[in-house]
Amino acid sequence: MKNFFRNSPESHAKNGRSDLPAILSHVPIFADLSKREMAAVVRILHEREYQAEEIIFRENEPGMGMYIIHTGTVAIISESGQLQLSELSDGAFFGDVALLDDAPRSATAVAKTACKIFGFFQPDLFALMERDPQLGLKIVFRLARLIAERLRKTNQRVQELNQELQKIKSAGMTHAS
Amino acid sequence: MQVRNHKKILWLSLFLLACLFIIFIGGAAKLLIIAALLAYILDPLATRIESRGLSRTSAATLLMATLIAGLILMLVVLVPLLFDQLKSLQTGFGGEKTSQAMERLQTMVRSRFGFLGLADVDLMEKMTALKSGLLEKISKFLIEDSISLIVHSVSIPFIIFFLLKDGRELKKRLIRMVPNRYFEFSMDLIHKMDQQLGNYLRGQFLDALTFGALATIALWLLDVKYFLFIGVFAGMANLIPYVGPIAGMIPAIVVSVLDSGDAMRAVYVILTFAGLKLIDDVFIQPFVVAQSVDLHPVLVLVAIIIGGHLFGILGMLIAVPCTGFFKVVLCESLQTLKKYRFTA
Repeated sequence: MKNFFRNSPESHAKNGRSDLPAILSHVPIFADLSKREMAAVVRILHEREYQAEEIIFRENEPGMGMYIIHTGTVAIISESGQLQLSELSDGAFFGDVALLDDAPRSATAVAKTACKIFGFFQPDLFALMERDPQLGLKIVFRLARLIAERLRKTNQRVQELNQELQKIKSAGMTHAS
Repeated sequence: MQVRNHKKILWLSLFLLACLFIIFIGGAAKLLIIAALLAYILDPLATRIESRGLSRTSAATLLMATLIAGLILMLVVLVPLLFDQLKSLQTGFGGEKTSQAMERLQTMVRSRFGFLGLADVDLMEKMTALKSGLLEKISKFLIEDSISLIVHSVSIPFIIFFLLKDGRELKKRLIRMVPNRYFEFSMDLIHKMDQQLGNYLRGQFLDALTFGALATIALWLLDVKYFLFIGVFAGMANLIPYVGPIAGMIPAIVVSVLDSGDAMRAVYVILTFAGLKLIDDVFIQPFVVAQSVDLHPVLVLVAIIIGGHLFGILGMLIAVPCTGFFKVVLCESLQTLKKYRFTA
């Protein structure tokens, strides 16, 4: 019997979702998932289309999860600092920290061109962990690893900046004496 | 862009209008509300089965098959008992003790409340009229409504099955219709409502079930006639705050006093129900009703009147959970809305 509520493979192709597993496999938290696991992830993604200049999410508003860019360009802007932090395009992802904590968004995301993006949200991740704990754990573990890697890089950068600061300070003292 | 958003808002409004239409078409709405409430209560069970490695369809099928089997088993055991109690209701209250109790009550009413025009009241006649009226209503319900009863007992599990199986996909499709600017807000709102409502509805259901079972056992131990009917009714009535526990207790008092002819039996029943309510308040509710949805007594009363007006007794029973649902929706919407800058 045909299931009217479920998308057929043809409709997935029509919706442009057939290439989604390939795109997701480049996102670190979904890398190396099996075909079945990837299908389970694809099922819970929310497809959204944005026009150029349309806001995806705003700084200081509650964050619900991450977005993966299918097509288009997205700018990450700091409204408080009035500067563009980065520009992301096809296959890139952003907002992933919101999957773990309930803190407000630290920046605003705006579509620079017409975009098709896929949202992966915290409530869906929690629900996935309940019904498929193994897959949920896999994703959360990779997310933790991704954030640990970022923390390591940030620590390195802080150390480098500290060294540079020390150099500047000692140069300043030598110059003063 | 504005046109696209307006289109989405239009579709959403049309959907909401359709929902309102469904709510006001009566029978079908009642069916849908009951099925949706039950599906909501059963959803975590389906998820737990799913976590054992089964697909959602298999989990929903297994759950429904188990429930239907349990229901059939319960009917096989309980229906003969219910019919026995119905039969005894036909012949009941005809004993000597009942007549004596009624006579005493009649004398008391005639002497003390004569000024209210009750000097010539015939309580026995009124009792017989009430009994035959009640029996007539039950028989009418069983015979005339048997077709709709069969339709309901088939369609409710059918709707529950599809809501359990495809509920997630339906929710996702609904969210898809929301304009981009309100998308994360809707996700946030739905998630919070889901958590609060899930706790509230499952808690209410478990509370009614436990209270009903305890009341049935207690009435059986007190040797009250029709303990099963009254126990089940007390459990369901317990869903209604304030008036529910009293409404559940009154039939037990009437039946036990009339059956035994002993007014002291009323005291035992009152003490039993007071004890049950205490157990419910101290032990059951804090454990099963994780987060209570405080409803103002006036709001509860208005909801019960509206529920009764729309869907009868069943409407009165589902009025309070439905009001709780709308209160959660409204409060969470307002709270979540504050965190977003839609005017900016």
